[in-house]
Amino acid sequence: MRLEMGYIYIKDIQFSGESKIEDGTLYVSEESAKAVALEDEKLKSVSFDIARPGESIRITPVKDVIEPRVKVEGRGGIFPGVISKIDTVGEGKTYALKGMAVVTAGKIVGFQEGIIDMTGPGADYTPFSKTLNLVMVCEAVDGIEPHEYEKAVRLAGLRVAVYIGELARTLTPDETKVYETCTLKEGIEKYPELPRVAYVQMLQSQGLLHDTYVYGVDAKRIVPTILNPTEIMDGAIISGNCVSACDKNPTYVHLNNPVVHDLFEQHGKTLNFVGQIITNENVYLAEKQRSSDWTAKLCKILDLDGVIISQEGFGNPDTDLIMNCKKIEAEGIKTVIITDEYAGRDGKSQSLADADAAADAVITGGNANQVVILPKLNKVIGTLDYVTKIAGASEETLRGDGSLEVELQVITGATNETGFNCLSAR
Amino acid sequence: MNQNSYKIITNNPLVLKKLDKAYDIIFHEISYEEILREVRDRIHEGHRLLSHPLSGSVKPNETPYKSILITKGKEMKLDLKSLELIENAILACGKFHFKTDTYTSETYKDFQLIDWTLLESGLEAADVW
Repeated sequence: MRLEMGYIYIKDIQFSGESKIEDGTLYVSEESAKAVALEDEKLKSVSFDIARPGESIRITPVKDVIEPRVKVEGRGGIFPGVISKIDTVGEGKTYALKGMAVVTAGKIVGFQEGIIDMTGPGADYTPFSKTLNLVMVCEAVDGIEPHEYEKAVRLAGLRVAVYIGELARTLTPDETKVYETCTLKEGIEKYPELPRVAYVQMLQSQGLLHDTYVYGVDAKRIVPTILNPTEIMDGAIISGNCVSACDKNPTYVHLNNPVVHDLFEQHGKTLNFVGQIITNENVYLAEKQRSSDWTAKLCKILDLDGVIISQEGFGNPDTDLIMNCKKIEAEGIKTVIITDEYAGRDGKSQSLADADAAADAVITGGNANQVVILPKLNKVIGTLDYVTKIAGASEETLRGDGSLEVELQVITGATNETGFNCLSAR
Repeated sequence: MNQNSYKIITNNPLVLKKLDKAYDIIFHEISYEEILREVRDRIHEGHRLLSHPLSGSVKPNETPYKSILITKGKEMKLDLKSLELIENAILACGKFHFKTDTYTSETYKDFQLIDWTLLESGLEAADVW
């Protein structure tokens, strides 16, 4: 499967009477974007704002971050089974607007959403302080259930991202990159000497407000399956969860998953990138057993030599992570796991809630309990009403001088478990 | 597995509101950690864990609420995997800054809802298994 990704670099976003992209500037008609967002009758209102890197702006409570894309050649469209009609994606040509994001915000489950600071120490911890952000704060109609509100905001964000992406359809990309995968047979013939490596991606799937969708299917209803890694670049996986901000995968991360991109980078050089296996993180123990059994079975069928496993979330999914690791290693396949740590504020506690001797190669996204002080910023997009209720914050969070004392948990993407974050030991 | 095969141990009042009397619910107004200890005691009596004792996103001691599914019947043999999971969950409680006394009532409702959504997802699985 061959996918050509065309990158169009956005250097500024401005509101305008007409939506268009010209000379690297995205002009957005607020009125048109609003109409797209409010197609859903469950949303009462939406307000748009722009946050640029370096500006004294705090965005909260952040729900999702999405990169606008448009499918210009090949089967299907962006976000198949959700926004576009169902079709297998991942081939042909897709354009992505780089350097910008659509950020959705809303008080769905107050304590579960995140913070993006565009400047100051908080900005160092989130990858989304470096993007030009078109922020949409969505308010639901009265009396709506939180899970209906979540769905309405999720879909509104995706619709607006697709609307913005469409503006790039006739443009010429600034840069083009080709991602090509081979069939199993081709791979073995082409790279007989290279180790066969796959990516096992664990998807948050613990029930309402904790879900991820694959081609529109709720991931808790899937058994582990195989994707062609280019499928995610067209939006095969989207985020539908309101879990702690630091280690959930926003849709932006699914589209730009660094594990997939790095494996493509090494494909044909140091390894043979065989494919991507997706699995879930359900709450029921027998389901954890079934999914990890299947993941190990698929790894065996693919005759792999090595696997990289990424987790999403913390606590309960630590058990899925260790079950996957243990069972895949038992098949004689080497594993590297990517997780993050909840090692206490002093960093001295056990980092994971589960462990096994087979997990002897671990990459960490950082300690989510680490305390940071976020100074007062000039402008808030969204509301600070919930800032004391976000995971990793407390009523003492808001200090007298307007600064916030919080754990890294509150910052969107701070300890991301695909490596899409800024923390490093280097 | 039907409703006669499992018990729900919970401190979440929303669970009592959502589920009818057909369910075997043991409700105590105790802390998160005490719920875990209660479940541990029952595992020693021969019950097995059916749902994971930790949440996927809300850390122990961040939320006061927890609902856990265990088998209704006791087995002669202690289930070591259940014991390991519950002991690890109790250990995990120790590393989170306790602050649940400081929240407003609106947040308590959110915490109840999140615990309920996790339990509901477990119940759906339990009922078809």
